Amino acid sequence: MPTELTDDLARLSGWVSVEEAEGLLAWLQTRPQARLDLALCEHLHAAVLQILLHARPAIVAWPADPALQSWLEPTSHP
Amino acid sequence: MNPLLQQFIQESRDSLESISAELMALERAPASSERMAGLFRLVHSLKGNSGLFDFPEMTRVLHAGEDLMGAVRDGRVAYSPELADTLLDAMDFVTLQLDEIEGSGAAGAGHAADAAALAARLRALAPAAEAPVGAPAAAVAAGAAQLPLPRFEQLPEAARQAAASALQQGSPLFLLAYRPEPECFFKGEDPFHQARQLPGLLWGGAALHETPPALAEMDCYRSVLTYTMLAAAPRATLDAYFRYTPEQVRIEAVTPGDGLEACRQALLAAQGEILELPDGVAWLRGRLQATAASLRGCLGPEPAGLDAALAAALAEPAAAPLRDWLAGYDARSAAAAAADRRGAAPAQGQGRNGGDDEPAFNRRADDGQLGKVLKVDQGKVDRLMNLIGEMVVAKNGLPYLANRAEQQHGLRDLARDIKANYAVINRIAEEMQDAIMQVRMMPASVVFQRFPRLVRDISRKLGKEVQLVLEGEETEADKNIVEVLADPLIHIVRNSLDHGLEPPEDRAAAGKPRCGRLLIRAGQESDRVVIEIADDGRGIDTAAVKRKALAQGLIDPAAAEAMSEQEATELIFAPGFSTAAAITDLSGRGVGMDVVRTTIAKAGGSVELRSRLGAGTTLRLSLPLSMAVTNVMVVETDGQIFGIPMDAVVETMRLPASAIHHIKSAMTTTLRGRVIPLKPLNELLAIEAEPQANSDGELAVLVLRLHGERIGILVDGFRDVIDVILKPLPGELGRLSTYAGSALLGDGAVLMVLNPKELL
Repeated sequence: MPTELTDDLARLSGWVSVEEAEGLLAWLQTRPQARLDLALCEHLHAAVLQILLHARPAIVAWPADPALQSWLEPTSHP
Repeated sequence: MNPLLQQFIQESRDSLESISAELMALERAPASSERMAGLFRLVHSLKGNSGLFDFPEMTRVLHAGEDLMGAVRDGRVAYSPELADTLLDAMDFVTLQLDEIEGSGAAGAGHAADAAALAARLRALAPAAEAPVGAPAAAVAAGAAQLPLPRFEQLPEAARQAAASALQQGSPLFLLAYRPEPECFFKGEDPFHQARQLPGLLWGGAALHETPPALAEMDCYRSVLTYTMLAAAPRATLDAYFRYTPEQVRIEAVTPGDGLEACRQALLAAQGEILELPDGVAWLRGRLQATAASLRGCLGPEPAGLDAALAAALAEPAAAPLRDWLAGYDARSAAAAAADRRGAAPAQGQGRNGGDDEPAFNRRADDGQLGKVLKVDQGKVDRLMNLIGEMVVAKNGLPYLANRAEQQHGLRDLARDIKANYAVINRIAEEMQDAIMQVRMMPASVVFQRFPRLVRDISRKLGKEVQLVLEGEETEADKNIVEVLADPLIHIVRNSLDHGLEPPEDRAAAGKPRCGRLLIRAGQESDRVVIEIADDGRGIDTAAVKRKALAQGLIDPAAAEAMSEQEATELIFAPGFSTAAAITDLSGRGVGMDVVRTTIAKAGGSVELRSRLGAGTTLRLSLPLSMAVTNVMVVETDGQIFGIPMDAVVETMRLPASAIHHIKSAMTTTLRGRVIPLKPLNELLAIEAEPQANSDGELAVLVLRLHGERIGILVDGFRDVIDVILKPLPGELGRLSTYAGSALLGDGAVLMVLNPKELL
């Protein structure tokens, strides 16, 4: 299970697939203060990416891959 | 080139020709709905076929053509000469692509833009409101050019530095905007992955391009992102990368001037401001020198007059000389830059077309490329085959004629001439026969090419790891033989995967590599084609096979006891035999190996099975290269002649009566230390006569090999070995399995050819 959702922290790891988009969206919709841990994330499906870009949750840990991080940077809280 | 592709090219050329002819005919009779429908079908099937291959440009154009023709057929669009022109242009484009594919084996990626333009033209002719597929695509195609691109100088520092070093290495640089269609997720696409994998990617970003509804109402399965990327890769590579969706990307070249010029202007402006500062400060000299250094850095190695201006400024010391120089320089460089930009403009304009050659599909009536492959109806080849067969028979009559001339009429010279003529005709007939056989030859790859997929699917379903090795795919055999092979081979491969190869864990436990190996090898051995299917699986457990056969009532316990290992292995060929505990959809339904053996035997082939417990199983199918001509040995018994197929004959010999041992009613002899059972042919055919010995008191014995065993057949005498065209017996006679068929001899006599496998 690449996505671990706890009370206010979502831990995405590995290759996050399109199937997980809906669950993540539902989780984010009810948690304005949600935090995201991407340390182990290798890739996000575009559907997941656009949720993050829209919701802009706080990122507590960036992906290890700097290339992926640079794509994701605009998602973080201003 | 792969035969399927070859066939596709041939068929497509035919279709294109028909399409052109139909369009011409429509020009004369634009109201013919029948022709419209025909044209639609042609374009439709051409598009369908192109979809089998990786030719997105061709498919795109044909798809647009198909939509347009559909609209014409349904009367939503009126036929017009412009429409015909556009369609002909589209077909010319397809012809051009076919030429390219035929020449190089692949479609060039450079035509994506042409294809998109053509498709857009075709779509423009179709009514937008009623072409639900076409309209959005066309809109997007128009929209791609308007996709916003970031300005180079807005990119993050790291991206600009990467771009600078790429430029220094002479790599072309492009900015891309990629906006996938909103429904792309439903097609299994991941545009983000696509964007990340872009060749030469230096930087990328993604942004929502429409203000989405509140998070609570967001539809996460509708793509709303636009990706912007900076890539250092040749234009052609980028075009090829997005060749499936050219209407969703905008690609623009970044020339060094773009960002640098802005920076330079900013720097120069800053220097100008510095020089405007009041002169009366102690550090004026230092400031002047620093400014001059900045200007030098900005404007290249030695801007004319800068040194002199600096010297003058330092001498005063005042900023004025330098300021004046800079103002003069600005005016000069503005003029130069304007000239520069005029020169660079065409280069930038090439952004969309990537500087490709002119679209070269302006050929219509002038391309006379005729296919080098002839498509012939199989019936015609079969007719040729029958004719050459009759010719072989007729030619065989000449030696009889020569004998009659010599023996009945005493004309030795004539007989010799006839024989000489016969030799010539014989040679030509044989060559002709060979040539016609060649026409019917097909490579084994026709059957083999489906195996990679089959093996992959089945092994995945079974959770096994299998490496498939195909060898000798180029081996050729008669079309009928290759076709006969298809089903048995599938059975065998399924059996190997299902029963032969073990799951990875079992293999690892047995000390074998986890990944099993399945080898399918075709080869030619003299006049036979041999197919070997070998796996390194668990092999056949003869004890289990015997138990199953007993349980299924195929053998009795005494027979089971007496069986050799090989015999027990061969039990899997028994009709109704099945080892699978459960019936799966793969195998284990009790049809299989016995069907395999009978199918192969019907085509004149044989199946050999070798298996070692724990080490694997090898099946060897041996088939004649061609079914058209059968090599038979003619034997005589009780005054009649019979043919026996040569592939069953091991040797012929003459045995003195003393070498024959009688055990009860059975006869045997010893041949090179092996005991061979003997059967008189008369007895097998229920002819009430004893085998006749020759003048030396020796009996003629024909040694046959059947199912791996040798057996001697007692006959009265041997005649010659001849090639015959074997014809199956007609009607009810066809059910006499003792005979393989009949053949006509050169002297007009009918030869009955025996089927040794059924005889015994």
